[in-house]
Amino acid sequence: MTVLVPITYKGGVYRHDIVIDLIDDLGGYIVQKHMIAQEVVLQSLVPKDDIELIRTISRPLAGIVIEAPLVGTEIAVVSPSLEIHHLPHTSCDVAEYLRSAGAKTNMIGLARGFGKRIANLNIEERDIINEHDCAVFMLGNFESCIEYKMPALRRGITVPIILTGRPSTEALQRIIDPPVDGYVGGIGRIGHRMKRQEGEIDRLDALVDEVSTVLSRKREEVAKDPLSVNPARLMTVLDDAMEITERSTHPTPITVQIRALRVKLPYDTYADAIAAIEIENGVRIGDITRILPSRMRDYILIHIRPFSETKIIV
Amino acid sequence: MKGLEYFEVECVEQAGAETYSQIADNILSDLNLNQSIGRLHIYIDPEIPLFLAVGVIKQMPGLVHIRDFASALGTETGVVLDIGTETYLSPMLSILWDRYGRDLITQPDRFTVNILVPGLNPREIEDMVVVDPSEGMFHDIIYALQWIAPEGFKVRRQSIGEGIFSYVASENTLDQEEIEALLKEKFARIGVNA
Repeated sequence: MTVLVPITYKGGVYRHDIVIDLIDDLGGYIVQKHMIAQEVVLQSLVPKDDIELIRTISRPLAGIVIEAPLVGTEIAVVSPSLEIHHLPHTSCDVAEYLRSAGAKTNMIGLARGFGKRIANLNIEERDIINEHDCAVFMLGNFESCIEYKMPALRRGITVPIILTGRPSTEALQRIIDPPVDGYVGGIGRIGHRMKRQEGEIDRLDALVDEVSTVLSRKREEVAKDPLSVNPARLMTVLDDAMEITERSTHPTPITVQIRALRVKLPYDTYADAIAAIEIENGVRIGDITRILPSRMRDYILIHIRPFSETKIIV
Repeated sequence: MKGLEYFEVECVEQAGAETYSQIADNILSDLNLNQSIGRLHIYIDPEIPLFLAVGVIKQMPGLVHIRDFASALGTETGVVLDIGTETYLSPMLSILWDRYGRDLITQPDRFTVNILVPGLNPREIEDMVVVDPSEGMFHDIIYALQWIAPEGFKVRRQSIGEGIFSYVASENTLDQEEIEALLKEKFARIGVNA
């Protein structure tokens, strides 16, 4: 089985269909396509050995290929509230930076995540965070405060947590018990956009590194018991059958996660139709996945079942 | 912070203190308050938790009279006001409406207001007070402190006196006497005997 690696292709609109066809022919998948004015950005998964070929072919088109470690993941950026204290600065900077590394980020502003003693997480927020590949918790500037409120905010969260706060990474590691999956210090509440290289942008780079480390661990975990179908492939099959991207106005009508897909269609109307779609040789989507209603609006969440459960790989 | 003769954030956690002094600097300059505040001392105790700020106002903006933005001319039918800048037009019209009634105030164009009351002294009209900017500034200072203080600190005590202000916020109930003593101590740090 070829190893697919996440890349971002950036280039002009002119003849970009050549690149799309090439990725398709090589057996890669385009997870997301942005057309911004004269520029095209393709978030894709392509075979590792063929990156150089894509580079060579896109060179005359002035396209560039960059490795984007977070393509094909959906990340929750959890902010204690949506008030002026927490937005837009740090939370938006973080969400935007993770997106530039290829991730699909959703910002979740907690209803009552602020304060120290009064901070908490409600069931809906917990469930929505658990629908992501990982959650980046954006906490504040004081060690004692983070130490006190973190147990309340992480209660019931089953996805990997990456904790950020103003205290140093070592201090965060020291105060959190039991440990979470990742820590990035130096990103706390501030009153301006992050633009200095030292202490701001380099912290965001550290965050991208930490998130990709945590997610690679998760990918390795998944690889031990491989999924019955690659999520990116399932996305292509689903999109070909139902033309969702063409008919939807969402920026990412089908969001690819490490072992699931979020489909932005109403569950009640479309769940059965999706289950009946044939992937290959009589294997239907419903046979190898669990199609569940998402807690996010009325969307559909498709959990891909592992090989050990289905004994099928397509 | 630029513009302030004294500014300090006092906190047991060094990193938190540094960040909060940056936040205060950003927010006060965003709201154009760093020219109006002379001294500011912020005390944060994340254990209680408590946020306390005391400060001295450097300069109080003066009252705004009609003569500051318009000139009045007496005519047979009343007074004609020639408006220079429109900034205070709305509060001025409200005051004139209240005093003379809407029927007697006309506004033929953007820069002219007629008061149709014969025999008015134009100088008296020019001397009318329209706005007291210090009221707005107190409001702005308290808003700035609410913004600077950590979110969720809903138990608040704020006061504004002769050129001084204080703001105390927490999520737990505050003991009156303790807070009084603490405020006195912090005011002493900025040279005020409150």
